[in-house]
Amino acid sequence: MRIILVIVTTVVFCFGCTKDKLPIVVDSRSFDIQSSGNVTTVRNLPADTIIGVNSIGQPVGSGRYSFFSLERGQWVPQADSATNRWDLAFAGTTIRVNNQTSGPGLGGAFVQVGTFATLTAISADSVFRIDNHPVSYAIPRGSGRAWYTYDGPTNLLTPIPGRVLVIRTATGKFAKVEILNYYRGGVTPSATAPDSIKIKDQRFLHFRYVFQPNGSGQF
Amino acid sequence: MRFYFFLFFLATPLLSLFAQGDTLQFLNEVVITATRQERRLGNVAIPVQLIQRKQIQQAGSMRLRDILQEQSGLQLVAGFGAGLQMQGLNPEHTLILLDGQPLIGRTSGVLDLSRISLAGIKRIEIIKGPSSSLYGSEAMAGVINLITDNGTKPAMEASLRYGVADTKRGWGVPFSSQNLEHTEADVHFSFKLKKWVVKQSTNYLYADGISYRPFSQDRIPRPISRFTSQTILQGPVGKKVDLRILTRANQDQFRQQFAVQNNGVTTASFGRELNNELVFQPTVTYRPSANLVLSTKAYITQYVGDQQLRFSTPVDSIYKDRFEQRMYRIENQVDIKKGTTTFVAGAGIQLEQANSTRYDAFTSKKENSVLYAFAQWDVKLGDKWISVIGARFDHHTLFSAALTPKWAIRYQPNSRLSFKGSVGQGFKAPDFRQLFLNFTNSAAGGYSVFGANQAASVIDNLNRLGQIAELKPDFSKLSQLRPEFSTGYNIEVNYNFTASLRAQASLFRNDINSLIDVRQVATRIDGSQLFSYLNVNRAYTQGGEIGVQWQLHKAWSVNFGYQYLQTADKDERGRILQQKEYIRDVSGSTRIMKIVDYVGLPNRSKHQAQFKLTYESSADRFVHFRVLYRSRWTIANNNGNTVHDSQDEFAQGFVQVNLSAGLPINSFLAFQFGIDNLLNYQDLFYQPNLQPRTVFIVARLKIPSKQHP
Repeated sequence: MRIILVIVTTVVFCFGCTKDKLPIVVDSRSFDIQSSGNVTTVRNLPADTIIGVNSIGQPVGSGRYSFFSLERGQWVPQADSATNRWDLAFAGTTIRVNNQTSGPGLGGAFVQVGTFATLTAISADSVFRIDNHPVSYAIPRGSGRAWYTYDGPTNLLTPIPGRVLVIRTATGKFAKVEILNYYRGGVTPSATAPDSIKIKDQRFLHFRYVFQPNGSGQF
Repeated sequence: MRFYFFLFFLATPLLSLFAQGDTLQFLNEVVITATRQERRLGNVAIPVQLIQRKQIQQAGSMRLRDILQEQSGLQLVAGFGAGLQMQGLNPEHTLILLDGQPLIGRTSGVLDLSRISLAGIKRIEIIKGPSSSLYGSEAMAGVINLITDNGTKPAMEASLRYGVADTKRGWGVPFSSQNLEHTEADVHFSFKLKKWVVKQSTNYLYADGISYRPFSQDRIPRPISRFTSQTILQGPVGKKVDLRILTRANQDQFRQQFAVQNNGVTTASFGRELNNELVFQPTVTYRPSANLVLSTKAYITQYVGDQQLRFSTPVDSIYKDRFEQRMYRIENQVDIKKGTTTFVAGAGIQLEQANSTRYDAFTSKKENSVLYAFAQWDVKLGDKWISVIGARFDHHTLFSAALTPKWAIRYQPNSRLSFKGSVGQGFKAPDFRQLFLNFTNSAAGGYSVFGANQAASVIDNLNRLGQIAELKPDFSKLSQLRPEFSTGYNIEVNYNFTASLRAQASLFRNDINSLIDVRQVATRIDGSQLFSYLNVNRAYTQGGEIGVQWQLHKAWSVNFGYQYLQTADKDERGRILQQKEYIRDVSGSTRIMKIVDYVGLPNRSKHQAQFKLTYESSADRFVHFRVLYRSRWTIANNNGNTVHDSQDEFAQGFVQVNLSAGLPINSFLAFQFGIDNLLNYQDLFYQPNLQPRTVFIVARLKIPSKQHP
């Protein structure tokens, strides 16, 4: 079993080596971006999807981020990771903003409790946090802290309803983001689903956002 | 022979004083739990549900859980065995008694009803609503009282049962045989030796379980072998003085073999759990006159649970767990009867001890002693009213005292109609686990749980050693645990349409305060979480019940019961009403949660019903058909918010059909056939105690008293 996993890992890595501009496993059949009015919805964005298990049995990805530009509404190749062409970078439950330890941009973020629709203006006294990789992140990691909870007994990760990520983009403009789901197809597996499904289908992010191009904090 | 009916607390002449020519037979049945003295059912102000031995036999029940799951308003919940949920309260809030004395040996507050044998049990009495005013701690939701045989007639009965279950669904292989089998042998005999009556009941059960199920979380029917022996010795020891000694021993052994898959790694576990219970209960009753009964009861009980698990990863690692609990109790009770007034008073002293590998050290014995006194004044006002006022005071050495009053009233305007109402308090003292637990689980990220008496000092010590990364706000709230209190309100209307058709409707509400919950109080520097117990939650349960009993024809009868239940954590409900909770709509977008989305406490079914049809031409020739229904219940909060709502994981509602039939061959021998779970409903994850379709046969040999030597 382990041998097979090693082979799979190698193949995927090599695939990554030869076609450098593609993220590790982009499932091009399902990854899509749709806009309706000013709201853009992204589905099935791979965020360092699982390629195997490590020596102590924990599922692991290849450790690469998926970069995304809220401003242009598109996925950004890894080659552009050192530019301010991206606003958010996703790997598993980690979301990084383009600033300081993560990138050259003006990025920042904080988490606001409330619904996506009712957040119409960023309050003037808001403080944007920035990443201090690997110690802390603008959008904190950990169950129940920022945007998700993880349940040990069922091995399931669920975005917390009523949490909006307020983002300052790499160019200093503003956006609001709501994470909708963490699993392929946008449906969280049943608590009783086999672990193999829960592992294979995780780290496919679904989110919607509104980007304000005029530089104001009004949505 | 004056002790023809051996009555615990009440002389026979007393009963006749109450008799007023009721035509309905069931009202003459004698119950004891409602008032701590034997009273006719038609004369108690508190509703009592009765299950007779005959019903237990006709249902073919092998364990207490089998017969209780067929009763109106009772639900079985999985987790730490089969626990009992009454009026929507958790298993730890229902007191289970054997002849009025508590059975011990709970795991996480749950007394596993699949362990408890029905050998030598004559009837079961169920009281819903707080009964702490008579029985003290744990009687918050109500009381189940197993009453042993009081008769004096020599008799002998033996039965043998064999059954086999349908395992086609492929959910693993039976543990030790090709088929999922069970065997039960039961022998009961009683004889007279001069003035003494000796009654012996012996029961052996082996029920196979499932040995392996992938993706399981330790939820499988475990194979059980159980041996129960009960001996009762009763007789006069002097003029007007009777002695009764009850001894009961029970040993059950569960074996288990299961596999857990976590992060792709399968860990197989093999283990056994051995539980030993002993009960010794001598009672001396003195009846100086028809209006006065004095009784002294001693009660000694011991429970020893021993568990060993061997894991495949790390190779051959062993987990051992041992829990010992003892209770010693002595109590006096006096019953005084004057005119239409009955006065009952009693006092007792109790010592409880426990050792556990899950406390700081197995050798450290934990103790709690309780002094208690109770009184109840039962008065008949005119022809139509009965009023019962009672209270109990419990003084625990480990925490503050509890005073629990209760007032019940019955109004019977005519022989057909009666109303009952009661308001009472219930309490549950913190148990040893909540006070002394010292348990660390190094798997699954690691966590520790400390009892409230230990947590502050243990964590302070860790903090001094630089082991604590963060103290949570709840750390400052750690203090001596207080008992949990509830106030219960119950009203019931009874109407007897005819002598063969009667109906009841009732409403209940329980307001529970200072519920004890597990909360995270600190985080270690390695990120593992430390938990302890705090009095934090407030909750309520409320609902209604309907019951109809109809004797259709001489031989046919119908019994219907239904319970509607609503529950809520008051703080959660408050947050939803303040629009502080969120939920997702079908598109995955967040909206503010409405109160209709809230489902209340987990593990509760809103609707529960049963329908029973019985044909009975003689006690041995019968057909007993039962349909049990339970609506869906929520299992886990898995949509990211902090409350249970309509989008969370639910266990499906289900219908279970049980059928049994009796066929007498002659006056000695009778056969019984049955099919449990006829529709073969299965839910591997949430109903592990529900066996697949099971066919059984019982051969029962009876030697009536006349033929007995």
